[in-house]
Amino acid sequence: MNKKTFISLFQENHYIVDLKGRTKEAILNELLEPLKQNHVVNNSDLLLETLKKRETLGSTGLGKEVAIPHCRSLAISELVIVVGRSGKGVDWNAIDKKSVRLLFLIVAPPQEKQNIYLPVLGKICEMIRINKIRKKLFKTDNYQDFVRIIEEAL
Amino acid sequence: MNNSQLEMLVHYQDIDLMMKEAEEVEKTLGFHIEGCEKLQKAKDELEQNLKPRYLNIYKRLSTRYKRPIVPVQEDTCLGCFAKLPTYYTVRARDDKEMYTCENCGRILYWMS
Repeated sequence: MNKKTFISLFQENHYIVDLKGRTKEAILNELLEPLKQNHVVNNSDLLLETLKKRETLGSTGLGKEVAIPHCRSLAISELVIVVGRSGKGVDWNAIDKKSVRLLFLIVAPPQEKQNIYLPVLGKICEMIRINKIRKKLFKTDNYQDFVRIIEEAL
Repeated sequence: MNNSQLEMLVHYQDIDLMMKEAEEVEKTLGFHIEGCEKLQKAKDELEQNLKPRYLNIYKRLSTRYKRPIVPVQEDTCLGCFAKLPTYYTVRARDDKEMYTCENCGRILYWMS
């Protein structure tokens, strides 16, 4: 997967500057909202259920105030990413017990043409490991800067 | 096929695949993943609500294929990539029956 393909997965209408929810379910619902509005998801309730079930296997809170809720589901026809920032932070039962301020929702169908689900997941993890990049992503409040930071990180 | 039954079956497959992935991790990396029991419970609940006929078809197919339910895109079964007959696409819109691929037998799921 090249840089251009990776960046093209982050769309402006899939970037939420201020998540309002205080619970895991509310946040997941908010993250699914752009997918519902843009008719990307076939059945959002089904997708929400699958995401909740994925959380029972272990929290997707990676620590350092970042979470990557993800799942594969037939409710969606192509891989999409939704990014959300939570100013106050939300309890995600993360590995380091810290609340989460930055979330990357990744959903993909069980089979995709390019098979980029795991590479995308890996690339995001790699990116947020860098302190400088993570701090910049926490601070930024617009899509253009967000993309610029990602480009810089790759 | 009743649409809610198909949706339930799709959810059943999503959980099933998640559990299989977790089992693979357990086998390859050698550590136990907690939470599989909860997923099994969710699967059992779905089984109670699914019609036995549909569940049996799913289970029979799952012995042959990793993913018994596959999406249809551009009138093509994404399991075997066979082009579906035109009348299939028209009939499938009424959501009354379960449709399987004539070529591979997988359950078809139309993305609306």
